[in-house]
Amino acid sequence: MADEDLLTMILDDLKRTVREYTTAATESNCQTVRRVFNDLTMDTLRIQGDLYYQMSQMGMYQAPDKALRQAVDKQIQSAQQTQQKSQQFVQQKMNGTGQFRQAPNVPQHQPNVHSSYYM
Amino acid sequence: MQSTQMQPLTGKELEYISDSISNEDLLIKQLAATAGSTQNSTVNQICNQQIQSHTHHLGMLVQLLQQHQQYAPTQPQQ
Repeated sequence: MADEDLLTMILDDLKRTVREYTTAATESNCQTVRRVFNDLTMDTLRIQGDLYYQMSQMGMYQAPDKALRQAVDKQIQSAQQTQQKSQQFVQQKMNGTGQFRQAPNVPQHQPNVHSSYYM
Repeated sequence: MQSTQMQPLTGKELEYISDSISNEDLLIKQLAATAGSTQNSTVNQICNQQIQSHTHHLGMLVQLLQQHQQYAPTQPQQ
Protein backbone atom coordinates (compact mmCIF):
# COMPACT_ATOMS: atom_id res chain seq x y z
CA MET A 1 0.00 0.00 0.00
CA ALA A 2 1.25 3.52 -0.79
CA ASP A 3 2.53 5.79 2.01
CA GLU A 4 -0.30 8.21 1.25
CA ASP A 5 -2.96 5.53 1.84
CA LEU A 6 -1.32 4.31 5.03
CA LEU A 7 -0.97 7.84 6.46
CA THR A 8 -4.56 8.70 5.49
CA MET A 9 -5.78 5.67 7.44
CA ILE A 10 -3.71 6.79 10.45
CA LEU A 11 -5.04 10.34 10.13
CA ASP A 12 -8.63 9.03 10.12
CA ASP A 13 -7.93 6.89 13.17
CA LEU A 14 -6.48 9.93 14.94
CA LYS A 15 -9.67 11.91 14.24
CA ARG A 16 -11.77 9.07 15.63
CA THR A 17 -9.49 8.78 18.69
CA VAL A 18 -9.85 12.53 19.45
CA ARG A 19 -13.65 12.16 19.35
CA GLU A 20 -13.52 9.16 21.65
CA TYR A 21 -11.24 10.92 24.16
CA THR A 22 -13.61 13.92 24.18
CA THR A 23 -16.60 11.66 24.85
CA ALA A 24 -14.69 9.82 27.57
CA ALA A 25 -13.77 13.12 29.26
CA THR A 26 -17.37 14.33 29.28
CA GLU A 27 -18.56 11.04 30.77
CA SER A 28 -15.91 10.70 33.47
CA ASN A 29 -16.93 10.70 37.11
CA CYS A 30 -13.50 10.83 38.77
CA GLN A 31 -11.66 14.13 38.31
CA THR A 32 -8.32 12.34 37.84
CA VAL A 33 -9.77 10.26 34.98
CA ARG A 34 -11.36 13.35 33.45
CA ARG A 35 -8.05 15.25 33.57
CA VAL A 36 -6.17 12.39 31.87
CA PHE A 37 -8.80 12.13 29.10
CA ASN A 38 -8.71 15.91 28.71
CA ASP A 39 -4.88 15.85 28.37
CA LEU A 40 -5.09 12.95 25.90
CA THR A 41 -7.72 14.84 23.85
CA MET A 42 -5.48 17.90 23.58
CA ASP A 43 -2.33 15.91 22.80
CA THR A 44 -4.05 13.72 20.18
CA LEU A 45 -5.48 16.84 18.58
CA ARG A 46 -1.94 18.25 18.39
CA ILE A 47 -0.58 15.01 16.89
CA GLN A 48 -3.41 14.90 14.34
CA GLY A 49 -2.72 18.52 13.38
CA ASP A 50 1.01 17.80 12.99
CA LEU A 51 0.33 14.79 10.74
CA TYR A 52 -2.19 16.72 8.65
CA TYR A 53 0.31 19.59 8.20
CA GLN A 54 3.16 17.25 7.23
CA MET A 55 0.95 15.33 4.79
CA SER A 56 -0.22 18.56 3.18
CA GLN A 57 3.41 19.71 2.89
CA MET A 58 4.24 16.46 1.04
CA GLY A 59 1.24 16.97 -1.27
CA MET A 60 -0.58 13.94 0.18
CA TYR A 61 -3.64 15.80 1.37
CA GLN A 62 -5.57 18.46 -0.47
CA ALA A 63 -7.51 20.97 1.60
CA PRO A 64 -11.20 21.14 0.63
CA ASP A 65 -12.26 23.83 -1.88
CA LYS A 66 -12.41 27.40 -0.60
CA ALA A 67 -15.81 28.76 0.38
CA LEU A 68 -17.01 31.49 -2.00
CA ARG A 69 -17.42 35.06 -0.76
CA GLN A 70 -21.13 34.90 -1.57
CA ALA A 71 -21.57 31.87 0.72
CA VAL A 72 -19.60 33.54 3.52
CA ASP A 73 -21.67 36.74 3.20
CA LYS A 74 -24.88 34.71 3.38
CA GLN A 75 -23.69 32.91 6.51
CA ILE A 76 -22.72 36.19 8.18
CA GLN A 77 -26.18 37.60 7.51
CA SER A 78 -27.85 34.50 8.89
CA ALA A 79 -25.51 34.38 11.91
CA GLN A 80 -26.24 38.03 12.76
CA GLN A 81 -29.98 37.32 12.68
CA THR A 82 -29.46 34.32 14.98
CA GLN A 83 -27.34 36.45 17.30
CA GLN A 84 -30.01 39.16 17.43
CA LYS A 85 -32.87 36.69 18.05
CA SER A 86 -30.83 34.96 20.72
CA GLN A 87 -30.25 38.26 22.54
CA GLN A 88 -33.94 39.14 22.26
CA PHE A 89 -34.93 35.75 23.65
CA VAL A 90 -32.58 36.12 26.63
CA GLN A 91 -33.85 39.65 27.31
CA GLN A 92 -37.50 38.52 27.18
CA LYS A 93 -36.82 35.67 29.59
CA MET A 94 -34.73 37.79 31.95
CA ASN A 95 -37.35 40.59 32.04
CA GLY A 96 -40.01 38.06 32.93
CA THR A 97 -38.32 36.73 36.03
CA GLY A 98 -40.44 39.00 38.29
CA GLN A 99 -39.38 38.89 41.93
CA PHE A 100 -36.02 37.34 41.00
CA ARG A 101 -35.19 40.24 38.76
CA GLN A 102 -32.22 42.30 39.88
CA ALA A 103 -30.91 45.60 38.61
CA PRO A 104 -27.69 44.95 36.69
CA ASN A 105 -24.60 46.06 38.56
CA VAL A 106 -22.68 46.68 35.36
CA PRO A 107 -23.73 48.91 32.49
CA GLN A 108 -25.09 47.15 29.45
CA HIS A 109 -22.34 46.04 27.14
CA GLN A 110 -21.85 48.15 24.04
CA PRO A 111 -20.23 46.47 21.07
CA ASN A 112 -16.67 47.68 20.60
CA VAL A 113 -16.55 46.71 16.96
CA HIS A 114 -18.78 47.93 14.22
CA SER A 115 -17.62 45.87 11.30
CA SER A 116 -20.05 43.37 9.84
CA TYR A 117 -18.01 40.51 11.27
CA TYR A 118 -15.05 39.91 13.49
CA MET A 119 -12.49 37.17 14.04
CA MET B 1 -15.71 23.23 44.06
CA GLN B 2 -14.84 19.91 42.46
CA SER B 3 -13.36 17.15 44.54
CA THR B 4 -9.85 16.09 43.54
CA GLN B 5 -10.05 12.94 45.65
CA MET B 6 -9.37 9.72 43.79
CA GLN B 7 -12.56 7.76 43.29
CA PRO B 8 -13.08 4.14 42.23
CA LEU B 9 -13.45 3.77 38.47
CA THR B 10 -16.99 3.42 37.15
CA GLY B 11 -17.73 0.59 34.71
CA LYS B 12 -18.01 3.17 31.94
CA GLU B 13 -14.63 4.73 32.76
CA LEU B 14 -13.05 1.28 32.71
CA GLU B 15 -14.54 0.61 29.26
CA TYR B 16 -13.30 3.95 27.91
CA ILE B 17 -9.80 3.30 29.26
CA SER B 18 -9.82 -0.20 27.76
CA ASP B 19 -11.04 1.07 24.35
CA SER B 20 -8.43 3.86 24.46
CA ILE B 21 -5.65 1.35 25.12
CA SER B 22 -6.81 -0.62 22.04
CA ASN B 23 -6.89 2.58 19.96
CA GLU B 24 -3.37 3.60 21.01
CA ASP B 25 -2.07 0.06 20.40
CA LEU B 26 -3.62 0.02 16.91
CA LEU B 27 -2.12 3.42 16.06
CA ILE B 28 1.34 2.29 17.22
CA LYS B 29 1.09 -0.85 15.06
CA GLN B 30 -0.12 1.07 12.00
CA LEU B 31 2.70 3.60 12.41
CA ALA B 32 5.32 0.88 12.90
CA ALA B 33 4.07 -0.97 9.80
CA THR B 34 4.20 2.28 7.77
CA ALA B 35 7.69 3.11 9.08
CA GLY B 36 8.81 -0.41 8.17
CA SER B 37 7.50 -0.34 4.61
CA THR B 38 8.22 3.24 3.48
CA GLN B 39 11.13 4.26 1.26
CA ASN B 40 10.62 7.91 2.21
CA SER B 41 12.86 9.11 5.07
CA THR B 42 10.45 11.96 5.99
CA VAL B 43 7.54 9.54 6.36
CA ASN B 44 9.78 7.26 8.44
CA GLN B 45 10.71 10.18 10.70
CA ILE B 46 7.07 11.28 11.11
CA CYS B 47 6.03 7.73 12.03
CA ASN B 48 8.80 7.38 14.60
CA GLN B 49 7.86 10.69 16.25
CA GLN B 50 4.21 9.65 16.38
CA ILE B 51 5.08 6.22 17.81
CA GLN B 52 6.80 7.96 20.73
CA SER B 53 3.70 10.07 21.47
CA HIS B 54 1.32 7.11 21.35
CA THR B 55 3.62 4.97 23.47
CA HIS B 56 3.50 7.77 26.05
CA HIS B 57 -0.33 7.82 25.85
CA LEU B 58 -0.45 4.07 26.36
CA GLY B 59 1.72 4.48 29.46
CA MET B 60 -0.63 7.19 30.82
CA LEU B 61 -3.64 4.90 30.40
CA VAL B 62 -1.95 1.93 32.08
CA GLN B 63 -0.87 4.21 34.92
CA LEU B 64 -4.45 5.46 35.28
CA LEU B 65 -5.66 1.89 35.76
CA GLN B 66 -2.92 1.17 38.30
CA GLN B 67 -3.69 4.36 40.28
CA HIS B 68 -7.30 3.24 40.68
CA GLN B 69 -6.65 -0.43 41.33
CA GLN B 70 -6.62 -0.16 45.13
CA TYR B 71 -9.93 1.79 45.21
CA ALA B 72 -11.92 -0.83 43.29
CA PRO B 73 -14.43 -2.67 45.50
CA THR B 74 -14.00 -6.42 45.68
CA GLN B 75 -17.76 -7.04 45.95
CA PRO B 76 -20.62 -5.55 43.90
CA GLN B 77 -21.98 -2.43 45.68
CA GLN B 78 -25.64 -2.04 46.71
